[in-house]
Amino acid sequence: MSIFNEGLQVVNVGLPLIVEGVPSGQVTQLDWRPPAFGDAEVARLALALDSPETDEANANAIGIVQRVRPQLTRVRPASEVVPGIADGRMLLHAGPPIEWERMCGPMRGALIGATLFENWAETPEEAESLLDSGQIKVEPCHHHGAVGPMAGVLAPSMPVFVVTDPSDGRFAFASLNEGLGKVLRFGAYDEEVISRLVWMRDILGPILDRTLQSFGSIDITSLIGQALSMGDEGHNRNVAATSLLTRRLAPTIAALEPSSDAIAVLNFLAGNDHFALNISMASAKLSMDAALGIDKSTLVTAMARNGVEFGLRVAGTGEQWFTTAVGPADGLFFPGYGPEDANPDLGDSAITETMGLGGFAMAASPAITQFVGGTPSDAIAATRSMRRITLGPHPAYPLPPMNFTGSPSGIDVLKVLDTGVLPLINTGIAHKTAGIGQIGAGIVTAPPEVFLSAARALAKARGIG
Amino acid sequence: MTAGSESTGNDTVLSSRILQHFYRDSVALMAIASVTEKEEGVVRVGAVMATPANLTILADSQMLPEGLDATPDDLVFVVRAEDEETAAKALDLAEAGLTAVQDGKALEDEKPGTIRETVVDAARDGLTPNLATVSIAGTYAPIVVEQSLRNGMHVFCFSDNVSIEDEVRLKTLAARDQLLVMGPDCGTAILDGIPLGFANVVSQGSVGMVAASGTGAQEVSRLLDLAGAGVSQLIGVGGRDLSEKVGGIMTGVALDFLEADDETTVIAVVSKPPSPAVAEKLLDRLGRIAATGKPVVACFLGLDDKDAEGTGVVVRGTLEGGAIAAARLAGHKLDITDISGSEPIRGKVLGLYTGGTLASEAKILLKRAGIDHEILDLGDDQYTAGRPHPMIEPQIRAERIMEASAEPGLGVILLDVVLGHGANSDPSTPVAQAVMKAREAARAEGRELRFVASVCGTKRDPQGLERQRSILKDAGIIVAETNASAVRYVVAATGAAAAEGEK
Repeated sequence: MSIFNEGLQVVNVGLPLIVEGVPSGQVTQLDWRPPAFGDAEVARLALALDSPETDEANANAIGIVQRVRPQLTRVRPASEVVPGIADGRMLLHAGPPIEWERMCGPMRGALIGATLFENWAETPEEAESLLDSGQIKVEPCHHHGAVGPMAGVLAPSMPVFVVTDPSDGRFAFASLNEGLGKVLRFGAYDEEVISRLVWMRDILGPILDRTLQSFGSIDITSLIGQALSMGDEGHNRNVAATSLLTRRLAPTIAALEPSSDAIAVLNFLAGNDHFALNISMASAKLSMDAALGIDKSTLVTAMARNGVEFGLRVAGTGEQWFTTAVGPADGLFFPGYGPEDANPDLGDSAITETMGLGGFAMAASPAITQFVGGTPSDAIAATRSMRRITLGPHPAYPLPPMNFTGSPSGIDVLKVLDTGVLPLINTGIAHKTAGIGQIGAGIVTAPPEVFLSAARALAKARGIG
Repeated sequence: MTAGSESTGNDTVLSSRILQHFYRDSVALMAIASVTEKEEGVVRVGAVMATPANLTILADSQMLPEGLDATPDDLVFVVRAEDEETAAKALDLAEAGLTAVQDGKALEDEKPGTIRETVVDAARDGLTPNLATVSIAGTYAPIVVEQSLRNGMHVFCFSDNVSIEDEVRLKTLAARDQLLVMGPDCGTAILDGIPLGFANVVSQGSVGMVAASGTGAQEVSRLLDLAGAGVSQLIGVGGRDLSEKVGGIMTGVALDFLEADDETTVIAVVSKPPSPAVAEKLLDRLGRIAATGKPVVACFLGLDDKDAEGTGVVVRGTLEGGAIAAARLAGHKLDITDISGSEPIRGKVLGLYTGGTLASEAKILLKRAGIDHEILDLGDDQYTAGRPHPMIEPQIRAERIMEASAEPGLGVILLDVVLGHGANSDPSTPVAQAVMKAREAARAEGRELRFVASVCGTKRDPQGLERQRSILKDAGIIVAETNASAVRYVVAATGAAAAEGEK
């Protein structure tokens, strides 16, 4: 008799001694590490959660997410379109919820700037005391269908990208990218910053809106899909998507607005490599929110940072945030700055990684491989490791260096716990003092604690453990 | 996705499929079109993004379906084929071409020898592993065992410190799928001739073993090798399998395997005595197997020997006895020649064992003979205290031998040396060295110390049975054929001394 009809094939977990007598061709030695980051209790919960029902819920969730085809339709003032933002004085910010008192420098700066921009205060001091007194409500962008990079501050008068899924009529929103240098999202609020915001409100926003109405909506999935084959990864490198977008809209802008304003808009687009980032973010937000609340699903629907805490949301636990303290990114710094200047990680832009772009699509972007080690093969290794924690390749986001396999998409909490592989997030690094701006860029990994908390909550919701 | 087809005058049909908002580069699409075009019955294939320019190209080659409703962001497949069915198949093939690369393992350029970190990784990688060997910390072992079972693998679990509740749960899970969970705390198995953990190199033969003990299984299997009977399968079940709580779940599955096995003509179960509740059920099962013509030896350490009348099951209380009985039932004679002419031994009997079951066997035999003794299982946690098991790291025992030599009343030290896979590459040498030093130390105090040992090994063990025995003999150690024989020598010598004392 043979116990192993097709011949013995051993997976050895532990001491090589145990399989000393087994022919070497029949043994695979695992490089095993304790699951769930060494938390045996959570490892057990994760195992119990790993059931056919979960698989089914996850297949359903990732299918829904990957079928969303977000369309950029309008650019409207936030007050008109973002639900709830016009109820009294309200400003939105990046990341999971946080009170004004606990916020980091750049976020406080951005809120002061937005208060000045809204003309709710005359001076920064007055703005600060308004915020201190709670007369201005602050809530996460994510709670209003919106996302914003870095401080992610969104004020009612700001123009936002309006992104919609025609199949179900849902919307998502994102602020318009201000460019680099002294900008609100890094906490700057001087005259230069405010007047740019005013120009964006009065000129850029309306012109883009008229252009889109005339041109028709832009299919963001196709735009990003194409950009991935041109060296973007949809988070830290957006030059291809921005160029493609500008190339498409420029003739319409020129035809509709034969004025110095149109030239200024085109110059602005030409000078801002990251303009398409916020569109990518809104698109990812719309896609991921499609899975919000899918029972039993362990799919991550949001990762976001507020400069103090990292927040995670999971489909099966709906709108609940799992948070933990966040540190600064490990990265490359502009001359004159170093890790000691860095603010803890910040921004909603990790929604792109949640979707399967950014750090997950690193292989597509040889130009920025310095962040992951310097060579294209490091970038490919990064993308490959993200496959181990995702539910499946995104069919609309093929990566040329991976033989056009779709970018790894849809983080599964259980896979993260089982493999110990943490999501890679490409990110900009803000100076911890408000207003200095971006001082570098780099890579962060999501903190393990949020996945442990998520597993505990998912198990509790299912009456496990 | 939308689809359409239309008949055209010239005996062909034109079918199309639109994938909305789906971008692929034109080069990739041309490649898909070219592959699809090679299908029998397919005349022409177009695969394009539906830009105005591309639609013009389709129209120019009579490949533009009437009223095609596509936007430039949409991907369009158009197939002209002999009939609808062929066209539909070609469209499926073209669409599959979009994702074919994603499934193609060969194109993943995964380097050989890629490190895999989880059981799930290994199972996914097309290796079709069918056994997981687990020796990680007991806290995590149940998790890996369960993952392995879920992936359809048998499990050899060397890890200990696994709760009995987990053991019951995992074994129940395994039994449902007729999978083996050998362990936890399983040291030895030989499956399809391949040794796992601590196992001697024994010849393939006709005795199928189920063993709840490690060195017990080794001693019986190597004696079956010596007898020429050999072993068909040696399935370990872990020391608690026949406890009341576990209820012999895995012994049951192992017996299913052996019962169904044509190469197994005799079955031997090696264990300490099962809990009474389990014993009744087990003996009943064993009796039924014996009744089918497959004789069964229940080698339950410490029980009285009993032949097969009534139950049909031969019961033996020692490892040696079990091996002899099983060999005989398999048609092989196993003669153990005891060492004769023993000089009288005076003083205390101390056993310093590395094999737990060998230690138990010695205790049983000494107790039966009514001789005072102290037998230590140096593999027990209290002696290892975090160090490797003495079968792996013999130094622990060498130290013990030296310490014992200072004991005034000590007369003889009983020893075991276990060979085979997993064991130290030369376990006899440290024993021999320690014995020589200990003897010298005792002599310096005017005492004579004696040493009696057996080697649990086979000729084909990597350490070499004869070589290991010679090393012991050269150090003046009396080397018996079996552990039981070594104990009998001590019993005889001690008895001789007692008789002398009576004179």
